[in-house]
Amino acid sequence: MSDTIQPIAPPPSKAPPGRRLDPIARTRKVLAAREAGLAGVLVLVILFLAWRSPYFFTTDNLIVVARQASLSLIIAVGMTFVILTGGIDLSVGSTVALVSILTGTFMVDLNLPVVVAAVAALLCGLVVGLVNGILVGATPIPAFVVTLGMLAVARGLALGITQGQSISGLPSGFLPLGQGSLLGIPIPVWIAAAIAVVAHLVLTRTRFGRNVFFIGSNEQAAVLSGIRVRRTKIAIYVIAAGLAALEAIIETSRLSVGQPSAGGGYELVAIGAVVIGGTSLFGGEGSILGTVLGTFLLALIQNGLILLGISAYWQQVFSGTIIVAAVGLNIWRQRRSGG
Amino acid sequence: MAEQPLIHMRGIVKSYPGVKALSGIDLRVDPGQVMALVGENGAGKSTIIKVLAGATTADAGTIEVDGALRTIRSPRDSQDAGIAVIYQELMLAEHLSIAENVFAGREPTRRWRGVDFGAMRRATAVLLAELNIDASPDQQVGRLNVARRQMVEIAKALSMDARVIVMDEPTSSLTEDEVATLLDLVRRLRARGVSVVYVSHRMREIFAVADAITVMRDGALVGVRQVADVTPGEIVNMMVGRDLVDMYGQRPAPRPVTTPMLEVRNLTAGPRVLDVSFSIGAGEIVGMAGLVGAGRSETALAVFGHNRVTGGSVLVDGTQVSPRNPREAIAAGIAYVPEDRKREGLFLGLPIRTNITSASLSEISRGGVISRSRDRTIAARLAGELQVKAPSVETAIGTLSGGNQQKAVIARWLARRPRVLILDEPTRGVDVGAKAEIYRLVREIAADGVAVLVISSELPEVLGLSDRVLVMREGRLVGELAAAQADEQQVMALATGVHHEMTRDRDERP
Repeated sequence: MSDTIQPIAPPPSKAPPGRRLDPIARTRKVLAAREAGLAGVLVLVILFLAWRSPYFFTTDNLIVVARQASLSLIIAVGMTFVILTGGIDLSVGSTVALVSILTGTFMVDLNLPVVVAAVAALLCGLVVGLVNGILVGATPIPAFVVTLGMLAVARGLALGITQGQSISGLPSGFLPLGQGSLLGIPIPVWIAAAIAVVAHLVLTRTRFGRNVFFIGSNEQAAVLSGIRVRRTKIAIYVIAAGLAALEAIIETSRLSVGQPSAGGGYELVAIGAVVIGGTSLFGGEGSILGTVLGTFLLALIQNGLILLGISAYWQQVFSGTIIVAAVGLNIWRQRRSGG
Repeated sequence: MAEQPLIHMRGIVKSYPGVKALSGIDLRVDPGQVMALVGENGAGKSTIIKVLAGATTADAGTIEVDGALRTIRSPRDSQDAGIAVIYQELMLAEHLSIAENVFAGREPTRRWRGVDFGAMRRATAVLLAELNIDASPDQQVGRLNVARRQMVEIAKALSMDARVIVMDEPTSSLTEDEVATLLDLVRRLRARGVSVVYVSHRMREIFAVADAITVMRDGALVGVRQVADVTPGEIVNMMVGRDLVDMYGQRPAPRPVTTPMLEVRNLTAGPRVLDVSFSIGAGEIVGMAGLVGAGRSETALAVFGHNRVTGGSVLVDGTQVSPRNPREAIAAGIAYVPEDRKREGLFLGLPIRTNITSASLSEISRGGVISRSRDRTIAARLAGELQVKAPSVETAIGTLSGGNQQKAVIARWLARRPRVLILDEPTRGVDVGAKAEIYRLVREIAADGVAVLVISSELPEVLGLSDRVLVMREGRLVGELAAAQADEQQVMALATGVHHEMTRDRDERP
């Protein structure tokens, strides 16, 4: 392709500094570096934990980490789409709570068949996303405000419907979803992996994914290029809420209880994982691979603190510091490579 | 010559990793002199201004102010030396008043009682009056237009006792009237003994206001000329290093009139598009002139379906389309290259490739899945045909020069083979060499049978490129001229509404 495009460098003042590599190789290198750096950090953390704790590399412990990370990842994937468009969804944690208690209500109180109840709960989650999406896409109210409102509303609904009580006594047929394993790997991990792969393909190979990047990069230009901005935005909030709902159903199964306090702070974990993964909060730049790495980093740190015997109460201090440090590092590296 | 220069930069060298931006530049400005600084984009004008402003530090070279060596390592040093720089992107706090902006960071205070707003207002009023600026110190800057904001910046510079004011492309977003006002202000600054370094592409302004011209090319000094001893053509040749014989290309022989490709009938859309009717034939280039705010862009955006239309209709090739949104307009074969490339045209962080194919995703995908090979092939073919200068189509478009960005935006629309192409200020922020390429490109596109509408505030461009010129004023189409016979005075007369008797009015309304 470089035979048809003029092989002349851009004018000096605009040329990015750096060695004159083959431009394609250089682009690849920079792109790779973004996630490679994070992967490097991940490896260091793993080595450190393996060195400090004999339990780290046990199958049991790794399964705990994977299960925890996979649940966070499902939500973080949806958050990646939202943030790539330059939006934010603060309501995913509350959506988890609402769907969790609805799952319980449908199965225990209404005695619906497991599959019907799960699908119904999932649909309710999608409705939450649809409301978010329509408000964000079709009104000038900022996504931050819309989803902040939904954060309160969905949580309030969960508490109101249950009067604050947890719902236990879920049918045994429902429990393998969160507790079972396939080929020795927990089912939630399989689900999360499938979702991540599909999301990656959607973002990189489809029109929908391309539109997500266009909207995040320059919404006005997207409109003037004939892209269906409103429809795409609605779809994205539906996806985010849908994935939160799926996580809620799996989590409810895993804990065998529907609880209105579920999902507290999940939005922050998801946003943290996405931005650690290098996705720009302004939109238009980022990847699912980054989000996967970001999620695992947070999960490993949580696990590490437990293994090292540090009180769980301190955990958020570490997570918060790491989020800020990672984003700072990303910006610093971009400045250096982008001139 | 015996006069001591106010500013004398000698042997300024500045390198960025991999690029030598300035290779030993001298710049000399005498007291009370208006020195034009010209050069194509990338010639190093911005870099030398940044050095003077203390925004960046030179690798080598010296700066003398009033014959004394000064070290300028920060904007503060530069200010202390009496240098003020007015950048293209104005640096004002939009939510604050004019007075607050003029005295930002240097507010006069009264002991124990904080900022002395009265004194600030009075001092600002004096400055505004001296500069003949019709504005009140209390006005909020965010509500002023670009021309006024610039004046506020100049007032601010004077309040800091600036002795040399550097203006970077000050007229790039001004109307002709505002340009005249600004040039007048520059002359008044000179009369006060303030020197001005005037960075611009526009020969007409430079020759109207400057005393001398410093020409740069590729980071080197080409020469310094007194305005009296040189012609605009010679300066352009010095800038580009070659002869630009005919920038606008040859106007083709008029085609036989067929059915119009684009027909706009009694279009009304908001207060700035009132009952506008015109048509453009296949292969025709029609220019649209008018002052800023006359409703030209609004007309284009209404035709393109982006602005809400309240009356009238749009036909493409005889079929009524009247698009309700850009998507429908695009489907009908209309393409629009926006005025503000960065805000409305480009996906800055994304590669050239995705920028080019962004309006053609349906053509390169099946069942929602993009064919990566077609994506690449189309982008590479068009980037090559339009000679977009970049290492590869994967280069982020934000790193390209204005001219190459513009070519990529045009390529986006050519990928769709449009029947109507609307170009809104196609050469804004584009250097002279790339301008000529864009003109050639527009001619080729028209020759393929596309109806082209060119909106431009640069009259030579409108007249040089178009077959016919439409003139708008206050939301109405007030005249139509054959470009070959029209001159700038006629267009301006129509655009401003003076000298009615001079013009051949079409459907003039008093």
